[in-house]
Amino acid sequence: MYRTFPYLTLLAATVLVQVYLFDNLSISIYFAPMIYLAYVLLLPLDTSHFALLVAGLCTGWLMDYTMGTDGLNIISTLPVAFLRPWIIAAVYNREDPHEGGIPSTARFGRAKFFRYLVVCVLLHHLIFFSFEALSWVHLHRTLLRIVISSASSVCFLWITARLFTLKLTTRIG
Amino acid sequence: MYKLIEFIRSIYVVVLFIAIEAIAIGHYARSTHYARARLLAKATQVVGAGHDALAGIRRYFRLERENRDLLEYTARLQERLSAYETADKTLFEITAEAPTTDSLATDATETPDAIQRILNDPQYRTLTAAVISSTISKPENFFVLNRGTRDGVKREMAVISASGAIVGYVVHCTKGYSIALSVLSSSFRTSGMLSGSTYRGSIYWDGADPHTVLMGDLSKYADPQPGREIETNGSLFFPDGVKIGRILDAQLDETGTTYTVRVELDARLSGLSHVILVENRDLDEIHSLMQSDSIGHYIQH
Repeated sequence: MYRTFPYLTLLAATVLVQVYLFDNLSISIYFAPMIYLAYVLLLPLDTSHFALLVAGLCTGWLMDYTMGTDGLNIISTLPVAFLRPWIIAAVYNREDPHEGGIPSTARFGRAKFFRYLVVCVLLHHLIFFSFEALSWVHLHRTLLRIVISSASSVCFLWITARLFTLKLTTRIG
Repeated sequence: MYKLIEFIRSIYVVVLFIAIEAIAIGHYARSTHYARARLLAKATQVVGAGHDALAGIRRYFRLERENRDLLEYTARLQERLSAYETADKTLFEITAEAPTTDSLATDATETPDAIQRILNDPQYRTLTAAVISSTISKPENFFVLNRGTRDGVKREMAVISASGAIVGYVVHCTKGYSIALSVLSSSFRTSGMLSGSTYRGSIYWDGADPHTVLMGDLSKYADPQPGREIETNGSLFFPDGVKIGRILDAQLDETGTTYTVRVELDARLSGLSHVILVENRDLDEIHSLMQSDSIGHYIQH
């Protein structure tokens, strides 16, 4: 399978950065960027729906295993993987988004790629932090966590995507 | 078989997603007591809301039957109320006609029997019917009801709404259906009384407005203030105290002796779906009495 090695490297790198860097940052409870989503978000456009689900499940399980969160990452990552084709179709606005290539600024354009990241990250963080809080008592705090963490996640994912696609420039177009 | 396989192929990702998500949520719920308690509470809320929605749908489809049951219950209550009112009136008449102590003592033994007879054998009998069709825009308006002679419907039975207001009376019936003349008919006449007084008048429709009728011949000494209730009294068809409507305004006639009152009908005749039929069981006796030879003798002289 082509691009297997780059994607395995991407998964390993984002998980390691997430576990050893971001999860150990204690800047604020509102600042919790999640970079490991990059693996699911940057899979090629022609990836089958089933493969996306498997990728989401693997990423979520890996993060749950390393973070000790008992299913929370699967709960939040799986919907992103499941809904990704429809989100891309809505954002990319082409008749057939399954024509291949990697979701990137070069393929989508900056604005559309940014919107794609925002929608996916917001969806993920909304589910993640809602399930983590499991209460509406401190709703404003939960919402603030979602917003700030989403903003930081989108920034880091943008950088990750740029780095990842730099290596695969010849294959994107 | 091929279609089934195609169908499964088209939805297997969705099913897989739901299954994995459900397992993950279940696993997360078991991870801590807090998560278990909170998710259980949320699940109970969701299931409760689902049950509530289903119960709402079931209630909606039961409404027709419940409406019919309620109407039958109202009809039974109307019957009992009429019986008690008659008994009350009888008791009042007996005591009013007994000025001496001796006759009071005599009547004291007879009174409970008389009252019991009235309650056991009430003057009015009720049954319910659904309105199949009706008109309100013609000079003579009618209702077609889904009850006929086989259900016990007779001519001249009073027709009142589920809320207990006058609607009309039966003028014709077949085995399975009957036709009632609406209060909104130029030939309809009944007797009405200003509620809480003894002033009576004649109720009729002038054909102008399907929401109002007129009450004529009301004494100039009555105080027909807008908003006061008008109810039946002294009618052969309707029991006493059945609502007619409320006074809108009143105008003194040219002679200055009687009022003509505009009355807003209590029953909404355009939206009637079910009605109560009331039979005055003494009506045949009253009719035969009125047609007897002795009455003819007095008329001739």
